[in-house]
Amino acid sequence: MAYIIEQEVVKYVCTCGLLKPISKLYFCRYCLEVRCGFCVCHEVDSHFCEKCLENMPSAEARLKKNRCGNCLICPSCLLHLSVRAATVGPKNPEDPKATPRKVVYLHCLMCRWSSRDVGIPDQIAATGGWPERENVYNVRLSEIIEWYKSVVLLEKQQKLEKDKKKQRKYMSFTDKTGLTAEMIRKRIGLTEPPNPLLKTKAKPLEGAIAKEDVEELPDNIFTQPIKLNEITTVQQRLLQPEWQPVTVDKLFPIHKHLSVKQSLRCRSCEHNVSKPEFNPNSVRFKIQLFAYYHIPEIRIVTVEPLRAGQPAELLLKFINPTQHQTVVTILDLSSMPELIQDDKCSADTSTDDELKPIEKEPLSLSLTQSASLLHTTLSRQPSFTIKPRQTKQQVGADIEIPAANFVLPPRDDAAEFDDSGENYNFNDDPRLVKWRKSNKAVIKLQITPSTDLNLGDQVVVGFVMQHIYTNTIATSVEKDKEPQKCQHKIRVFLSLGNLLGSSE
Amino acid sequence: MTSRNNIKIIAGAIVCHEAKLRGDVTIGAGTIMHPCAFVNAEAGPIIIGEKCLVEEQSKITHRVPFDRVEQKNVPVLIIGSNNVFEVGCNVEACRIGDNNIFESKCFVGNKVTVTNGCIIGAGCYITEEQVLPENTIIYGENCLQREALCGPGQQTLQMDTLSKMLPNYHRIRKPNLKS
Amino acid sequence: MPIYEGYGTITDKLTFIIDIGAAYTKIGFSAEFAPRAIVASEVRCKNTNQVRNIYDYKDKEDLYDLLVEFIHLLYFKYALISPKDRAVVIVESLLCPTLFRETLAKVLFYHYEVASLLVVPSHLVSLATLAIDTGLVLDIGYTEAVAIPICHGSPVLHAWQALPLGSQAIHSHVKTLLSADNTGIQNISESVLEDIKEDIKVRCCFVTKRERAEKLRSVSSDIAPCPSVVYPLGGTKSLNVSGKLREMMYEIFFDEDLDHLCISTMILNVIASVDVESRTLLAENIVLIGGTCMAPGFKARLKAELYRQLKNERYSKFKNIKTIKFHTPPAKENYTAWLGAAIYGATEIVSMKALSKDQYFKEKRLPDWWSNLKDVVRSI
Repeated sequence: MAYIIEQEVVKYVCTCGLLKPISKLYFCRYCLEVRCGFCVCHEVDSHFCEKCLENMPSAEARLKKNRCGNCLICPSCLLHLSVRAATVGPKNPEDPKATPRKVVYLHCLMCRWSSRDVGIPDQIAATGGWPERENVYNVRLSEIIEWYKSVVLLEKQQKLEKDKKKQRKYMSFTDKTGLTAEMIRKRIGLTEPPNPLLKTKAKPLEGAIAKEDVEELPDNIFTQPIKLNEITTVQQRLLQPEWQPVTVDKLFPIHKHLSVKQSLRCRSCEHNVSKPEFNPNSVRFKIQLFAYYHIPEIRIVTVEPLRAGQPAELLLKFINPTQHQTVVTILDLSSMPELIQDDKCSADTSTDDELKPIEKEPLSLSLTQSASLLHTTLSRQPSFTIKPRQTKQQVGADIEIPAANFVLPPRDDAAEFDDSGENYNFNDDPRLVKWRKSNKAVIKLQITPSTDLNLGDQVVVGFVMQHIYTNTIATSVEKDKEPQKCQHKIRVFLSLGNLLGSSE
Repeated sequence: MTSRNNIKIIAGAIVCHEAKLRGDVTIGAGTIMHPCAFVNAEAGPIIIGEKCLVEEQSKITHRVPFDRVEQKNVPVLIIGSNNVFEVGCNVEACRIGDNNIFESKCFVGNKVTVTNGCIIGAGCYITEEQVLPENTIIYGENCLQREALCGPGQQTLQMDTLSKMLPNYHRIRKPNLKS
Repeated sequence: MPIYEGYGTITDKLTFIIDIGAAYTKIGFSAEFAPRAIVASEVRCKNTNQVRNIYDYKDKEDLYDLLVEFIHLLYFKYALISPKDRAVVIVESLLCPTLFRETLAKVLFYHYEVASLLVVPSHLVSLATLAIDTGLVLDIGYTEAVAIPICHGSPVLHAWQALPLGSQAIHSHVKTLLSADNTGIQNISESVLEDIKEDIKVRCCFVTKRERAEKLRSVSSDIAPCPSVVYPLGGTKSLNVSGKLREMMYEIFFDEDLDHLCISTMILNVIASVDVESRTLLAENIVLIGGTCMAPGFKARLKAELYRQLKNERYSKFKNIKTIKFHTPPAKENYTAWLGAAIYGATEIVSMKALSKDQYFKEKRLPDWWSNLKDVVRSI
């Protein structure tokens, strides 16, 4: 798995024009295109608390302001607070029968902050009931909001009224329905229902009064030394935007902020390319169309020392991750002309148009899609796709495109443990294919670094990989049907290392 | 620096045989010293108070700062009572009061004076010359400081268990002083 | 959108309010009284692993990428809602560069497919928190201080004044003053220093009184500056923050430059450029917003400075201004503008005045907000 943490040496060009390693790409099986995190639509899937790993329905999460009801974090160092039990003496020590009470308080294991530090009373139950604070301006602010709402509503009504009057001049009954609900109301003699929000208008709101007195500096600030440990840091203040405490004795525990699981949706066909499982404990996915499972992976085996203008041998390993045999052909970069043309086009036009959305046909939902998917699609507006960007990668070496193609057998997990000598009856071109084992093959390519490069420059080589992709969606529905096969092309750029001295 | 060892263990202390003690070291009653703890009185005597807990691989060193080496009478490193030295801590502080906790892998330099009730967090590296005020807590990667209302609680339960368990599995040094 | 998000059960529209400041971004939802989060306006660049402020953009495309990254963070780490098909209210300074606002709109409409966008000017909406319609709003943020008078619900644009005085100026001042007291400061890496400058400013410094500042400045001062502070820097170093630094830090706000410009004269210049009737009204309705105004003693000092300047001959025409009055918004200064937008966002204005997706695609640009000033929300 080293390629995940290693430098990104093999990059694939996503449909949107960005270069990404294969581990960061998705493959939409419906459009048969590569997608990446940048060009899919991200959606919030489910809310959960990182600490207690409880799911929270989104309606409840909204109500609780995206915070977990049970878990609290330390206002001083942001780590989770743990609940500690302690025993304290009975309420009235004189009573000999009274037993010591069990109480709980909050405690941070990192910075040893405790709820006792700021004078929060100990609680009886471990589940909390910790006192919550209220914004001191609550009443005033709700008044202001109500007032503004009513004023704007009034304005809106007046505008509607005006529009209505205007409309009356050109009133026509040629609308589709002919009648609006309002007109029916009028005909049968009902008056318009008064808007309930308008009632609040009766109570005019007093504007705030400015004062001449302002808060003066305390005199002791000039003489008393300050204790840094008692003054909060900016970070601690901003954690509680409502209060922004200045001294540490005003730090109160904060409810843990929730996290979300995201699902990713292809923007051109509205299918999910990644959808996590609902359970926060699970790291698996319901839908995972990672490119890693669909597109042959390329790894660099070796490359001869790179010298400007001199041919070097490059060995690449191709791995077929699918359950179907594929044929890989290596083509020149210019064999994907439609993309390059597009790029040119966007470069020519004025800058404002470069992000022009590509108009899309409204979705025609096939019956094969599940009911839930159908519903989801109805509730959302279709996305639009953005024109791909121009790929800025410069190529610093020529590649000799092999005439032959090669076959990659399907992946077979059992074959990993099969040591028996395998017979391959592929008609391999021995100049191209150097080695093969189960679903892997090493091929040899000839590259020539460009003479324009300077010593020490990174040598990048690019080509188009064309492989046969076997689409399995249709087969799952109609058993008899042959899996549909198609040619898929993707641009690949390899960073081969730095240019050495031209020759010795 | 190969001065003769002069180890004084007051009755009631549990000092494992494998604990390394170098130089003039006095260990107070009720103190528990795990195997592989290392007390190095290299520059002068070390006196450890009562009911301290010194865990495995912790190092307590008495080392005089370079700029004070010339001074004639080397001070004694006095460590108070109820201190906890957790696994792998490295303490060279020039004076340690009571009720302090040195968490795992922390380092306290020899210019630091630790008063009472302080907690030096795991991995904290403190060398700046300073006197830590009482109940100071140092935590985190950047050695942030804060002050607690009261010092840490005592580890009575842990100490009781250890004083019962350790003698069952380890050879214990015999105390050579009456309390 | 997942089915269990409960369509129809929640009738309340949730409008996302974003106030992207030069240093901190305030985000939250309409009709709430405080932002959900105040986060630094910066993103970690994935390729170089460097933290970059979103205002440090190189060109348009770079800014687009920075904003995509940053807004993703806002939605999926802090707000936890899907951006698609939702309304957004953006709080914007009147002096926001066109490139920035256009790119921001582009990111929101194209990349995040928001349903509609309402851009509100920060100075105007701040008055909503007070339910007043006339006032002089002074915003001291990270890069600059901007004063704009608002008369009867519309900003008097020609009277605006701005000075490059803000936290940034303070921070660079901190560094110069610190290096005077601490010889070892050169050895501290720039990134560490950047982080602690703000912390030193907030935790140690305050705005002193005029008399003290004058005395401290003279060589033979007869008063001692406030006690100095030892600021620990990790466990191995410490900085000496001198009392003079603590007291004199904010003096750059009140030192007049060659054109007699400083925070106090800026306010008076604003007042001078509005009509005579409004002058007294504005002087009695000063509203301070922006995080830098939160320095202890700032308001008191500003008041004293204003009174002092009024005695100056240059402002003799302001004879009828007898009192200077300040408002206290029901919020902390650093999120007052956000709160104003949250109040606006709670009303029908969003559905009436916001720029919808279709409109945007037709026009391909944001309308300059003052070009349809009459339509922009009037304060009440």
